[in-house]
Amino acid sequence: METITQVVLQLVAITIAFTVVLMIVAYTVLAERRVLGFIQGRLGPNRVGPFGLMQPFADLLKFILKEEIVPDKSTKFVYFLAPMIAIITALMPMIVYPFGPSINLPFIGNISLVIARFDVALLYVLGITSVGVYGIALAGWASNSKYSLMGGLRSAAQLISYELSLGLSLIGVILVSGTLDLYSIVEQQGGYWFYVIPRWNIFPQVIGFIIYLISAIAETNRVPFDLPEAETELVAGFHTEYSALKFALFFMAEYVNMFTVSMLATTLFLGGWQGPGVSSFPILGVFYFLIKVFFFLFLYIWLRGTLPRFRFDQLMNFGWKFLLPVAILNIFLTATVVFIGTIYGWW
Amino acid sequence: MTALLFLLFGGLALGCAISMVAQRNPLYSAISLIGVFIALACLYLTLAAPFIAAVQVIVYAGAIMVLVVFVIMLLNVEEEARRPLRMRYLVPAAIALAAVLVAEASFILFYVQTNPATPSTPLNTDVGLTSQIGSGLFTRYLLPFEITSILLLMAIVGAMSLARRGQLLSPEARVIPGSQVLPMDVVDPRRVGDATEVETDTTAEAAQLMGYGNVLRKQDEEDEV
Repeated sequence: METITQVVLQLVAITIAFTVVLMIVAYTVLAERRVLGFIQGRLGPNRVGPFGLMQPFADLLKFILKEEIVPDKSTKFVYFLAPMIAIITALMPMIVYPFGPSINLPFIGNISLVIARFDVALLYVLGITSVGVYGIALAGWASNSKYSLMGGLRSAAQLISYELSLGLSLIGVILVSGTLDLYSIVEQQGGYWFYVIPRWNIFPQVIGFIIYLISAIAETNRVPFDLPEAETELVAGFHTEYSALKFALFFMAEYVNMFTVSMLATTLFLGGWQGPGVSSFPILGVFYFLIKVFFFLFLYIWLRGTLPRFRFDQLMNFGWKFLLPVAILNIFLTATVVFIGTIYGWW
Repeated sequence: MTALLFLLFGGLALGCAISMVAQRNPLYSAISLIGVFIALACLYLTLAAPFIAAVQVIVYAGAIMVLVVFVIMLLNVEEEARRPLRMRYLVPAAIALAAVLVAEASFILFYVQTNPATPSTPLNTDVGLTSQIGSGLFTRYLLPFEITSILLLMAIVGAMSLARRGQLLSPEARVIPGSQVLPMDVVDPRRVGDATEVETDTTAEAAQLMGYGNVLRKQDEEDEV
C-alpha cells in the first residue's frame, strides 16, 4: 500500500512538473518572437489577447488543426517514431532537477521540490541527451528527402561532436563537488566566499562554464550553431517533411531542450535555488531558480537576434580542435588543484 | 514491484532482441538493438547498479549505435532479400544449442532457486555506486584499467592510419570552391611517381596542363552532343 501511494504521488509530481515546464516553454516561444521583434525594430505577435499573451494557444490550435501530410516514399514507422523520440528524450531529464529546497506547505506537510534523487543524476541527464540524437537523425532518414537527410546527418555529426565537450566540461564541476547528485551539488553552493561572492561553481569553473555554454547552444541546434535547419541551404533541415502536430513536437522538443540545458547550467554553475534569504523562506528558492533559468533563455534569444551562422567546417574545427582540448585541459587543471588542495587540507 | 519491473524490461529486451534478428531492414534492426540496450540498462537499475546502467545508455545506446545508424543512413542499405539457406547443417546445431540453453534455464529455475545459497556476509548495496566503482578502478584494478585504455588508444590510432592510407588528395591539397588543386595521382593514378601539383581554376585546365586536356575535351564534346 505504501509503495502504491508513493508511485501515485510521484506520478502527480511528474505531471505537474511537465505541465509547468511545457507552459513555460510555450511562453518562451512567445517571448522569443517578441524579443526578436524588438531587436529587429518591429512589434512581433501582439494581436491575440493582451500583449499577444494568448498567442501560444492559438499556435497550438493551428498545429493541431493543420492538414497532416505524410510523404509517400517515407519509411512510415520510423517517420512517426522520430518526433516521439525527440519529445520524450527532451522531457525525461526533467525529473532530476531540484526546482527548490524542501518546502513546508499547509495541509500537505513537508515536500521536496525534486522528483527523483539518485546517485547518477548527472549521468542520467547526459545519457538521455545522447539518446535524443536519434529523434533528429531518424527523422532525416525516414523522410526520404535529400534536404532532410543532409539536415539529419549534419545534426547527428554536430550533436556527437559537441556532446563530448559538453560532458567533459561538467567533469570539472563533479571534481569540485565530489558527487553526481544534483541536489547535493546545489546544497554545496550555499554560502559566500569573503562574505560577498556567492559560493557558486561558476567562479572556480569559469573555463568549464564557458565551454558548457557554447556546447549547450550547439547541442540544442540554436543560432549560431543551427546548421541542421539552415533555411538558406536546407529548406528546414531534418523537419522539412514534417507538418502539423509532428512538426509541433520537434519544435517543442527544441525549446524543452533549451529549457533543460538552462536548468543544468543553473544547477551546476549558478547555484541552483541558492540565494539570499532561502534558509528562512525556502519558497524564495523556486523564484531564484526560475530567474536564473530565464536569464539563460534570454541569452539564447539575444544570441539568435545578433549572431550569424557558422559554416559547417568551421563548426567541426571549432568543436574538435578548440573546445575539446580546452575542456580536457580544464579537467587536468581542476584535478591538479583539487588533488593538491586535499593534500594540504584547504579544499 | 521489482519482479514486475524485471518481467517488463526482461520481456522488452527479449522482444527487441528477437526483432533485431528477424528484421530485414537494417535500420529497424539497429533501432531494435537500441531498445535492447535501454531495456538492459533498466534491468541494471533494478539490480542496484545505477552507474553501469547510465554508462550502458551513454556508451552503447548513445555513442556506438549512433555510429551504426549513421553508417546505415550514409550507405542507404536496402532491405535484404530472403535467400535460400546455404549452410543447412547449422539448423540441427542451432536446435541442439537451444535445447542446452533451455535445459540450463530450467535447471536454474527448478534446482538452484529452491536452494538459495544464503550469503555469509550481508549484501553490500554500495557496490554499484559511482564512488565505489571509481575508487575500485583507480586503486585495486588500476592495471587492467590502464591496459584497457591503451587497447582503446591503439584501436583509435589503428582506425586513423587505416582510414588515411588510401587517400586520393595529398595532405597539402585543399579543395576551395571556385578553384581546384589537383595532384597528379588523382588525374592519372598510373603516373603516381610524378607528384608535382598543379594549381588552376577548373579541372579541365588542370588536366590540360598535365597533358590530358584532349581526353577531357573530347568527353565534354560528346556530352554536349
